[in-house]
Amino acid sequence: MDFAASLSLVAPEILLSTAGLVLLLVAAWAGDGASRAISIASVAVLAACAFMVAPALCSGAMGPDTVAFSGQFRADAFASFAKLLIYAAGGAALIVAPAFFERVHAMRAEYPVLILFAVLGMGLMVSASDLLTLYIGLELNSLAAYVLAAFLRDDERSAEAGLKYFVLGALASGILLFGMSLTYGFTGTTSFEGIRAALSGTISMGALFGAIFMLAGLSFKIAAVPFHMWTPDVYEGAPTPVTTFFATAPKVAAVALSMRVTLDAFGGQVAAWQQIVIFAALASVIVGALGAIGQTNIKRLLAYSSINNVGFILIGLAAATPQGASAMLVYLAIYIAMSVGGFVAVLMLKDADGAPVEGIAEIAGLSRHRKVLAACLAMVMFSLAGIPPLFGFWGKFVVFQAAVQAGLVPLAAIGIAASVIGAFYYLKVVKVMYFDEPANVAVGKSDWAHQALLAIAALFISPLGYLLTRWLGALADKAAAALFLAA
Amino acid sequence: MVDLSQYLPILIFLAIAQGLSAAFVFLPIGVAYLTGAHKPDAEKLSEYECGFPAFEDPRSQFDVRFYLVAILFIIFDLEAAFLFPWAVSLDVTGWPGWITMMIFLAELVIGFAYAWKKGALEWE
Repeated sequence: MDFAASLSLVAPEILLSTAGLVLLLVAAWAGDGASRAISIASVAVLAACAFMVAPALCSGAMGPDTVAFSGQFRADAFASFAKLLIYAAGGAALIVAPAFFERVHAMRAEYPVLILFAVLGMGLMVSASDLLTLYIGLELNSLAAYVLAAFLRDDERSAEAGLKYFVLGALASGILLFGMSLTYGFTGTTSFEGIRAALSGTISMGALFGAIFMLAGLSFKIAAVPFHMWTPDVYEGAPTPVTTFFATAPKVAAVALSMRVTLDAFGGQVAAWQQIVIFAALASVIVGALGAIGQTNIKRLLAYSSINNVGFILIGLAAATPQGASAMLVYLAIYIAMSVGGFVAVLMLKDADGAPVEGIAEIAGLSRHRKVLAACLAMVMFSLAGIPPLFGFWGKFVVFQAAVQAGLVPLAAIGIAASVIGAFYYLKVVKVMYFDEPANVAVGKSDWAHQALLAIAALFISPLGYLLTRWLGALADKAAAALFLAA
Repeated sequence: MVDLSQYLPILIFLAIAQGLSAAFVFLPIGVAYLTGAHKPDAEKLSEYECGFPAFEDPRSQFDVRFYLVAILFIIFDLEAAFLFPWAVSLDVTGWPGWITMMIFLAELVIGFAYAWKKGALEWE
């Protein structure tokens, strides 16, 4: 594989890094007044990158033609699927930001640049086929994310979120790195293909420890129980546009990365990690459902909801089949739409002065004075709960179907039971909005960009989304096939 | 008969999770208890200040610019550290190695220009 071919495979990453660097200089010279222009340019760059990766997904690219830089990087249909979701989530985080930050005069030109660099890191993560590419992508994403969490630097909660995320994220990176070094020590290689070949017999104790430490580090990044403690605090403290970003793009990237590590590098040793994934899946579903019940802040509630959803996604991973992988990707696509819809709806909750409203008690009786917003938020909640006419049901359905066909009937049964517990708190929000005495707090007007984004997300998760199932399923199948061919 | 040894990975995973979270709670308490001053006197309770009596509260805020300068120093110092192995192995890596390093240096120059323009290098 020569350099020209490798460079053409990483073209989206080259465009992202060049655009990020150029816009950084623009940000320095033009100042914060140019933030909106830089945001628009960044959205355009993300759209261009999406057009560059889409052909690989549509044609189901896989095999040796997709490997760049002698096995460091893989631009196959699986990576393209994940990248499209990441670009969409990054774009949403850029679109919702200016209106939120400008109210407190905190919109800085660095925000879109940081998002671009985080997206670049996530693109590397999902394309990684070597432990070193994995780590560089992960760190590039994390470093940008730490700064984003503390973006409202005059706000105590935001600074606390940034610090907490940084300290715990550094710890998780350390655990992951330790696991990688053990894996390297016991297999003698950092490439996923080489690790898979070296672990073809019975797995040694050292390599097992390596896999476990790597899974622990990755569980932190996807916020799976028992490494979920940071999620509610960081989601609550970070500015809401940043929370929108955290709940969507890094989740896709880290889940896709976990799929590569488990199904590709450790794909020959399913028995070694399957129980861990089953445990993390069940624990996430249950802790996510129970933890959300007592919450009074809607951002914290959505944080527990994201822990809960990660559990459902991991049920697909526990199946360890191409069908399970495909189901995970379908679930991720729907989850992105639900999360963006949910957080944009939260962004639109403002009091008469335009200050953000986050308390669940304060949105009581929202349906009286903000009918459309209340309806959209109710739809997101019903969809997250997985109630049939909405699209969220389809994601859960395909995941459980994959688990049952892989012979994991008890896992699917417990998952379904736990999703009923989860429905309780989603429905509580709907009840507060529709049946409680109006609190008349969230009466402020919304930005048109927020309304448009919420409308798109609501349309996607509405029953109309089922028109897409065949198309979405076919794309996810292609992506999963590419993942398993690489493995 | 259930073969419990098959559940070893999950046990290790749990033990690591438990161990880490327990260590972060109890280790500082335990270390502080074991190494703390059990027989306090005025001298022991005063802050350690390199041999001279403490003259101000150690928690006073210091200028964030020290921090900024230290970070910039680390970044550009590491850049120089990267140049040495690159320089001695250039006959092996050839043109690709040279071009890669030039791209790396160009990116650092952009970072440097950004820091300069933002005024991070000015003390006053």
